[in-house]
Amino acid sequence: MNNKINIILAGILSIPLDAVTDELAMKDVEAWDSLKHMELIATIEETLSIQLTFDEIVTMQDVAAIKKVLSTKGVEC
Amino acid sequence: MELQSKNVIVTGGARGIGRELVEKLLAKQAKVCVFDISRPGLEQLHNDYPEIDCVECDLTDHKMVEMCVSGATERIGAIHVLVNNAGFLYSEPLVKLSPTGILKHDPAMWEKTIAANLNSVFYMTSSVVERMIMTRTKGVIVNISSVSACGNAGQSAYSAAKAGVNALTAVWAKELGMMGVRVASVAPGFTNTESTNEVMNQANLQEILKRVPLRRLGKPGEIVDGIIAVIENDFFNGKVFELDGGLVL
Repeated sequence: MNNKINIILAGILSIPLDAVTDELAMKDVEAWDSLKHMELIATIEETLSIQLTFDEIVTMQDVAAIKKVLSTKGVEC
Repeated sequence: MELQSKNVIVTGGARGIGRELVEKLLAKQAKVCVFDISRPGLEQLHNDYPEIDCVECDLTDHKMVEMCVSGATERIGAIHVLVNNAGFLYSEPLVKLSPTGILKHDPAMWEKTIAANLNSVFYMTSSVVERMIMTRTKGVIVNISSVSACGNAGQSAYSAAKAGVNALTAVWAKELGMMGVRVASVAPGFTNTESTNEVMNQANLQEILKRVPLRRLGKPGEIVDGIIAVIENDFFNGKVFELDGGLVL
């Protein structure tokens, strides 16, 4: 599942898969703007069949935070 | 979107096409909130339909819009549909000849027309969509445009405002679709409403009718049916639904 999240991120941000580390954050990637973030959220929700709250969405500012939120939804990260 | 039990805001719903739309929405068992600047119009509407949440609001004042949308959301809950119907029809050429020389388009009327027809759509939609995103509500925004958006002689400000509305429709459809919010426009042609008859003289209307293949004005009910169709069809997005009897071809 960890790999699945990384694959989603790499695909949406158009970056190499090995560039997706837990430390990777919105502020580090020019393409990861608020519109890309919404696309990312929509893709995660659709792929994992989950619904994220607004509060969860705004905390998902880096890969580690994304995985932390998803773990609270029962997604193995 | 199925309209039953959905919360719908209609701007400019106290008269004309807006009021006909409100009546149709009530018939479909939607919960309706009307934003309008006319207090007498709202009082009449409330007398006729006490179940409607009526809000007196100047849509060109973004602070007032924010306050009114906040209040409406607290009273009726999450908004599912916004119909940006309020507008102000104004006609004046860029320049006109007079005995004293050339008169230029009144800048104050330019600004008033842009504010009423374009700024209002921006203010309302940003306030409503903010709440849709925060509550993860899937919704629909319907902007009422006009055939004038393609450029109608004698209507610099109105045409520019409606072209701007069409542009916003496309931008917002691209930005918001992935969050479950659809955005579309309905562009009526010349329609038999109070405002059309107030603004246009009979001679001008007859000239326009010669350019309409169907040789008649639209009926308000036909425009309302188009708005309802756009709300209910979940695959209609980012487009302008032109209802003009074939005037623009």
